Amino acid sequence: MQQAALRKLMPYLFLLPGFALFTLFVLYPMAYSLRVSFYDWNIINPTRSEFLGLQNYRDIVQDPIFQRAVRNTLLYALVTVPGQMILGLGVAILLNQKMPGQTFFRTVYYLPVITSWVVVTLLFEYLFNSQAGLINYGLQQVGLIDKPIRWMADENLVMVPINLLGIWKGVGWTAVVMLAGLQGIPTELYEAAAVDGANALRRFRNVTLPLLRPTLVFLVVVLTIGALNVYISGLLITNGGDPLDRTHFVLTLMYQETFDNLEFGRGAAISYLLTSLIFVISLVQIRFLQREVDYA
Amino acid sequence: MLRRFALLITALALMVALVPALPAAAQDTVTVKYWHTLSDSETEKLDELISMFEEANPGIKIEASRYAQNANEFRQVIMTALASGDPPDVIRMDIAWVSEFADLGALVAMDEVIPDFDTYKEQFFPAPLQTNYFAGHYYGLPVSTNTQVLLYNRAQFEEAGLEVPTTINEFVDAACALSNGEERYGYAMGGTYFWAPAPLFFAQGGSITDPEVTTADGYLNSEASVAAFETLVNLYNDGCMSPNLLGGGIATDAGHATDLYSMIIDGPWMVSIYEANYPDFEVNFALVPAGETGTSSVVGGEDAVLMDGSKHQEEALKWMQFLASDEAQIVMADAGVIPTLSGLTGNEALPEYFQIFMEQLETANLRTPSPHWNEMDNAINNAYQYMLRGEKTPQEALDDAAAEIDAMLSGD
Repeated sequence: MQQAALRKLMPYLFLLPGFALFTLFVLYPMAYSLRVSFYDWNIINPTRSEFLGLQNYRDIVQDPIFQRAVRNTLLYALVTVPGQMILGLGVAILLNQKMPGQTFFRTVYYLPVITSWVVVTLLFEYLFNSQAGLINYGLQQVGLIDKPIRWMADENLVMVPINLLGIWKGVGWTAVVMLAGLQGIPTELYEAAAVDGANALRRFRNVTLPLLRPTLVFLVVVLTIGALNVYISGLLITNGGDPLDRTHFVLTLMYQETFDNLEFGRGAAISYLLTSLIFVISLVQIRFLQREVDYA
Repeated sequence: MLRRFALLITALALMVALVPALPAAAQDTVTVKYWHTLSDSETEKLDELISMFEEANPGIKIEASRYAQNANEFRQVIMTALASGDPPDVIRMDIAWVSEFADLGALVAMDEVIPDFDTYKEQFFPAPLQTNYFAGHYYGLPVSTNTQVLLYNRAQFEEAGLEVPTTINEFVDAACALSNGEERYGYAMGGTYFWAPAPLFFAQGGSITDPEVTTADGYLNSEASVAAFETLVNLYNDGCMSPNLLGGGIATDAGHATDLYSMIIDGPWMVSIYEANYPDFEVNFALVPAGETGTSSVVGGEDAVLMDGSKHQEEALKWMQFLASDEAQIVMADAGVIPTLSGLTGNEALPEYFQIFMEQLETANLRTPSPHWNEMDNAINNAYQYMLRGEKTPQEALDDAAAEIDAMLSGD
């Protein structure tokens, strides 16, 4: 009897430490910030906070700076997700060939993934420096431009380095996941297709792509979530919004409202709006992209 | 059964291990936490000060934390510490922030904890002392003061046969004469935040609000203020001022030391920065070029403030008074920190180049002492950006900024 009770209890005891940490550091802060988002939160003296209901949410949705931040963020996702997918697939296919130095190249393509965002962002800032940057120097040397481009000073041009960085940093990881997917495709299918007279392009279109579908769907969803959370590169390159709050991403604006302007209520509301946006987009993607893979 | 028990014990042990260690038993020494944003060479001097202080005050330990010199970041760190109820004991903060933090109720008034404060305060220069004044009380001790002056590249001026400018008109002419298209610029400004244009703005008679800080209308958008910004915008449009102020270019200090920028306007700390990074570079100072009302500049500096949440106020105050003392200020002067004690004027231990900064300080203006200063700075920064981008004329941009600031001020 005692032993049976213990046996029932055991799994929960093992779960308890992890769940306690999860509650303390994830669930509790999430619930707390949901509460904060309904208030004009007073950080020095929270008991003096004024309850506003949904006012924070209404204000933010109508704020042109927020609308622009959402546009910048969606554009970043629209550019970097396909960018990473296409280049990642190319790299994965190359890495999937039997060739000398395969391990070396896998390492090389994965290097950007494991480097720190801060370091590579600073590196891109140097590359795109308007007066001393390598990019302007190169463009001038080959005669494509006659005056240096002021990348960081222009609200639209500054998106070029930020988006390129997003693609460059993510290709390695995307390629590794795709490589795993590619290696899961049975070779018999390629042999059978070859016997049926399919050339390389046909084999790619009719064997590789359909069988890679679950991997691709997974990547689209995960990369989109990552792209909507773009933060470090924006914060460092544009100082979070420079010039004139026109280059914000949702998270840099959230940070500014919270820690610069000390509007904790607005900041919390922005993070919940972003969460809802990600939730809806992910649901739509999964709903429309996922299909059973048919080996028959 | 036994094995299960072993597992259970392991699980329990793991849980115990995750409980944070209990705080160590209280010790006899009191630790005073001191936050600052000193530079490399200044931090070396601070270490000297800490040893001096700890030797003279056994039982007090100073735990100094250095933060990035990015103003916004430091403000956020302080705010977050206040929000979490765990502020340090003493902070060395920008003189422009004291009213904001005093207004938040985060600071202890010096006149309430220092006996004979009325006589004690007499030893400081009036302007740095004044930056601690808010709503009838003094909320800090001035520990450093500074201002910005003109730095010029003597060789380039001689080569071009130009005199060092003493008036705004001469300055504009020299800046344009020393610029050559896209590589070399006669003048470079560090950014668009108010501190950067402030010396040339004040020298041309610009102002932000009335002396009582009740309105910006008629001040920030006055004829003189608009003309001051027009001068700067024209310099930029004519290619006589580096585009680096809009971001993504070569920083003013590096550009000046590498002969790319003939003139910059900056503070006394540049001497030790150049000594460390460009030991061969010759630094030349001159007064900020004068407008119709004479030369002017902007007063900077730091005040040491005692945090309301400090649990060791007595010891913290001792440390603050040490920082404001003769001996401490002479040590810091070695790293380019100008003293706030009037008794040190002409002291032989002070570096010679302080002379020009002391002279400039005589006519330098304070940034508006207001709890809203941070937002006001932001409004002026945005106005300047609109002008440089050609999206608004200086008059329009400053009219809008004045209206924005008046809305903040009337909210009180």
